[in-house]
Amino acid sequence: MAEIAKVKFAWRIMDLVVGGVFIYAGVVKALQPVRFASDIDNYKILPWTTSVGLAFYLPWLEILCGLALILRRLYLGGLSILTALVLIFSGVTIAAKVRGLDITCGCFGHASQNWSFSGHLALDLVILAALLALYFKVTSENRLQNAV
Amino acid sequence: MRQALVLAALALLPGIGQAIYFRDKVSWQSPIPASEMVTVAQARAWDGNVIWVDARPDVEFERDHVPDAVPLNEDRWNELLPQFLATWSPEKRVVVYCSSQSCNASREVARRLRGEAQLKDVFVLQGGWEEWLKSRK
Repeated sequence: MAEIAKVKFAWRIMDLVVGGVFIYAGVVKALQPVRFASDIDNYKILPWTTSVGLAFYLPWLEILCGLALILRRLYLGGLSILTALVLIFSGVTIAAKVRGLDITCGCFGHASQNWSFSGHLALDLVILAALLALYFKVTSENRLQNAV
Repeated sequence: MRQALVLAALALLPGIGQAIYFRDKVSWQSPIPASEMVTVAQARAWDGNVIWVDARPDVEFERDHVPDAVPLNEDRWNELLPQFLATWSPEKRVVVYCSSQSCNASREVARRLRGEAQLKDVFVLQGGWEEWLKSRK
């Protein structure tokens, strides 16, 4: 029984850490939307107008999804959106590298300005692994409950 | 799926609110007004009346830079700004560059020079160092 409690506690900690990371990332960007718009624009994928729109929208989406993980409300929705965001972000980071763009990712505002490409990618993969682990854990729990 | 849509819709509210709050601080048309950009040819035409500011990291500046350029990057902003201000004079135009068209550092340094140092006549070099190199060939 104590073992189960420990495992549950460990998963809860993971919720808090992953949720906290996205809340932090969202707040940092929400405080400097103009700078974040420039960071998105640097990827040279979207027109400036779209970059500005996303710069106002994405940080709040990250914050709300992070809160969803921490508060366990709209949990699966939050996990799905964050997983999609990390996948998209990893994809565009790799694409930017392939195209030889000299970019700052802007993922954590000024703090991430000097991160290397491999640093970005490693962090993305760690977050993605954590999100997928949480996703499979919650979906398997739901399946078990439905079976019972 | 429904949960994701609810979250996506909820995020619109603060996003729209913030966009309204920042409506005067950001242009939806262009990242930098055309009046604040300058080409290599234009900047060269200003000749002795220009201070070149290199916003790239120190390593890149040490490797090579525009002749007489002053290093001023965000990593060592507090340390380098006084050095830059010592070379600055009101009649000179400031042209900031970073490594290429896609880099962000020159825009940020130019923005901070206008905002924090209250300088006028601060321009961003189109194409950055890459463009300068092409024009040198």
